[in-house]
Amino acid sequence: MKRKKLILWGAAALVVVCLSGPGLTPAQAQPVSGADSASSPTNSAALNAQAPDAKPAPVKIQLTGAELYSMHCNRCHPERYPTERTAAQWKTIMLHMQVRANIPGGQAKLILKYLQDNSGR
Amino acid sequence: MKKTMKTNRRLFGLVIAGCVMSAAFPTHVAATVSDADFNALKEMVQQMNGKLQSLEQTNQVYQQTIQQLQQQLSETQQIATNAEQKSIEAAQAQPQSRAPIDEATVNHNFQILGDAEFQYVKAAGQHGAFTLADFAPIFLYRSGDNILFEAGFDTTLQNNGGALNGNNNSGYTTTFNLSFAQMDYVMNDYMTLCAGELLIPLGTYTERGAGWLNKIPDDPLAVDALLPSSGVGAELRGGIPVGNIGKFVNYSVYLANGPSSVDGTGTSGIGNMTPNLDLGGNVGVRSDTVVANLHGNPSGGGRLGVFMPFKPHYDLELGISGQSGEWDNAGNHLWTAGVFDAALHLGPSFEARGEYILTRYGTDDIGVGVIHQQGWFTQVSYKLAGLNLELPVINNLELVGRYDSLHGAYNSTDNAFDSKTQRYTAGFVYYITNTLLFEGDYEFLHSNDPSQVGQLILQLSLGF
Repeated sequence: MKRKKLILWGAAALVVVCLSGPGLTPAQAQPVSGADSASSPTNSAALNAQAPDAKPAPVKIQLTGAELYSMHCNRCHPERYPTERTAAQWKTIMLHMQVRANIPGGQAKLILKYLQDNSGR
Repeated sequence: MKKTMKTNRRLFGLVIAGCVMSAAFPTHVAATVSDADFNALKEMVQQMNGKLQSLEQTNQVYQQTIQQLQQQLSETQQIATNAEQKSIEAAQAQPQSRAPIDEATVNHNFQILGDAEFQYVKAAGQHGAFTLADFAPIFLYRSGDNILFEAGFDTTLQNNGGALNGNNNSGYTTTFNLSFAQMDYVMNDYMTLCAGELLIPLGTYTERGAGWLNKIPDDPLAVDALLPSSGVGAELRGGIPVGNIGKFVNYSVYLANGPSSVDGTGTSGIGNMTPNLDLGGNVGVRSDTVVANLHGNPSGGGRLGVFMPFKPHYDLELGISGQSGEWDNAGNHLWTAGVFDAALHLGPSFEARGEYILTRYGTDDIGVGVIHQQGWFTQVSYKLAGLNLELPVINNLELVGRYDSLHGAYNSTDNAFDSKTQRYTAGFVYYITNTLLFEGDYEFLHSNDPSQVGQLILQLSLGF
């Protein structure tokens, strides 16, 4: 009984630690588009250069559909090429995968858009 | 222009008239004209002559202007004609535009996915044999944007154990099983309602690792022996993102009829060659065709998991799940299970995953009481493409290793729930294509149940 309790408490603690963990850092994630490129006069690097004491402005980051595709799909099976299916077929398959892998709807939509944009026809 | 022409004609007429008059009048008449009048007339004629010349010059300028305008008009017309011709040619030269998505397939779509396997087994001390041909299609029907019906079947052509027990006359069987059949209603981005024959989310192997998805042809011992793969019921499930960098919490909560008793009693089954507990047998219709749960109450369960990506292809998923419910018809005994699962990816080549499973259920048997069972597995794989050797055969190979154990399962030799089996598996996956796989494994077994032996498994798998 002690061992079971220990396992359960350990698992619960691990879940809590994971939930409060950092996940991807901004430096590792890609910006949404080229609009956040270094040449922009409003990026955090430029601001830091002008005012070293100022806190860096938060960089808005969001994973792209292609990144989410490579992150999620490869977890369970070999990657399927977007050209293997049509846009309508990908819509059905992504609904299936969203349910099966519990992928949040927003992420599933980004993956679907990537697959449809590069679909067979 | 016409006015100018008329003016010229009139002036010319005046000049001619003047000349005629000067010629017609006799000299004596002229003699009557004073010098002053003559000079005035002369001056007038000279002025008219000058005006005539000026008008002729103007006329020439006008004529030139007209010619230039006509030429420009002609050029403009030619340019317009050329432009029209070019536009027609350009339209004809353009490639066919992308075919629009058929309206029907936007609103609904029917699709078949699935897998097929063909297997050869050489068990220790036995003859080798082709033991399995499996076709497992999944039918998907989407109605609109958020309703999906999915059903998975498993059609298996399999030897009746000839390779395992030496019976040369066992023949083969063809089985056609409904693996799952559920309707999904995606209520919003975070919640989906599922109903039907559900894949039970105790751990992740059953939902995401079975069949073609697994890198080893057979299932872990504990998953097969201790957990139900499916159950009839209803479920709420979904994922909730944490931040916008890929991390999310996922959950499943469900009610299902749950396990049942083979003979309806709460006995363990010792002495019957098989245990009495039927993990997947309760579908809500009794053998006398009465629609009713075999026991009084459904089972309840759920899973909570968290997925944490560190960067693309580097992630960790942890989950904890459990289920509990009555299993005998009288409802006197509970069957309870708890599973802890984990999956780790370190780059596109390395994967490690595993599950720890605990189950217990009460029985009527005095002396047996509550049966405790447990098992776990861990599986590690590495794609040799990660070595960057740029060799075609090597690049398509993935090495796989697994350790799994099972304690407390029914041991037919001892007629008791005392089996202790440890299995070490080493093998490979060769990716002929991204969907056609050739798998080879050898399993080393250590067990107190002599019916469990090591074996070589070769399998050709196709995912579609």
